[in-house]
Amino acid sequence: MQSDNRGIAVCLTLILAVVLTLMPLSGDWIVWKPNFLLLVVMAWVLGWPNGVGIFFAASVGLLADLLLRMSPGHSMIVFALCAGALLLVSRWAKYLSMLQRTLLMALIITLVAVLEASIFIVYGLPSGIEHLPMKILLSIMVWPLIDLSIARLQPNRG
Amino acid sequence: MANVFSKSSSLLRKFLAVSLLAVLLMIIDSFTPWLKPAYSAVDNFVRPLYWIANIPLRVQEWSANSVTPRSEIESDNLRLTKESLIYHGQLQRMSDLAAENMRLRRLLNATELVQDSVLVTEVIGVSATPLRHTLTIDRGTADGVFVGQPLLDAEGLMGQIIGVHKHHSTALLITDSSHALPVQVLRNGLRSIAEGSADYNRLNLKFVSPTADIREGDKLVSSGLGGLYPAGYPVGTVLSIVSKPGDNFLEVDIDPSAEIDRSRHLLLLYTSRDNTADAVE
Repeated sequence: MQSDNRGIAVCLTLILAVVLTLMPLSGDWIVWKPNFLLLVVMAWVLGWPNGVGIFFAASVGLLADLLLRMSPGHSMIVFALCAGALLLVSRWAKYLSMLQRTLLMALIITLVAVLEASIFIVYGLPSGIEHLPMKILLSIMVWPLIDLSIARLQPNRG
Repeated sequence: MANVFSKSSSLLRKFLAVSLLAVLLMIIDSFTPWLKPAYSAVDNFVRPLYWIANIPLRVQEWSANSVTPRSEIESDNLRLTKESLIYHGQLQRMSDLAAENMRLRRLLNATELVQDSVLVTEVIGVSATPLRHTLTIDRGTADGVFVGQPLLDAEGLMGQIIGVHKHHSTALLITDSSHALPVQVLRNGLRSIAEGSADYNRLNLKFVSPTADIREGDKLVSSGLGGLYPAGYPVGTVLSIVSKPGDNFLEVDIDPSAEIDRSRHLLLLYTSRDNTADAVE
């Protein structure tokens, strides 16, 4: 894919992530559903660090807040924090194997889940902390698929 | 190495700017309605995406219907015909009872019972986060839907409308942790407040005294207090009652009557007070 088409690819993958986020699920599956928007943003930050950055991640976070009818700002901070952390290591991240990238994402997803649960506890909302292990596990399971798909959209793959 | 530090310093500045903006947005959202147009714009933007997101569910329903054997459809048809007959019979008795009730209320000089009418609607989206129990339905201002309107399924109260657009609306479910609903025990009229627990299968009763006459299995209906929900609609059944030593109130868990996370076809309720009853049936 040509470099100037990556903007379109970013938009299309984000729309797909929104559709997956909105997909109705019943029972515990709704609690375990991975944060597709965050995963897609992280994959783009790792794959195209010069094109997408903190402001892009924060904008998608704001969209997530409005989409999920949460107070705008929560996901914005979380997305920006994750993007910032990944941008710091993005220079080395491209040399990591898929397993190492998955482990890195597992660490970030766990930190995000714990951070979000802490924010909800502070606000007196149910944190759903008992569902975190399953949610983290499912997120880690879908990550390689998202990472590989977005890597295929990059030009000059070595 | 210097490049790494300058990069991290630039990232830190950007992150601080984003955090400041986020905090500002949180404050604006908490104290002003300025961000409502943004919510509305996002709702309008994602409406077609809800349709796409529902495709797997529709395919599943279609395939389930397609492979249903003819004998099963016939037996279903027979059962539904019988049920319809039974309900029609009960309805005749109900209209008689309603008329009698009206006469008695007039004798007591009480207000007349409001007449409720309904509009059938379909769920086109559910909340994407378990922390907010909301639904998106396919009716909006074009159908006379308004904020605060009660929503039912075939079994009981589901929630109320909190956001209306031209062709779709958003409803807050009774199980949402921010929702509270005045209820009464059907057996003895004991009043209480049913609060959402963020669990689709449970509500909590608030402020029930340890000496209150309430038992497991008691049916709860809306009390009509507060004026939002009309009285007499099923809310749930008492599941468990726990009395802890030293606590001022009982912990009462309720099993909601409505199939909160399963119903797809719902009813929007209009009472004669809404001035829109003639629009629907």
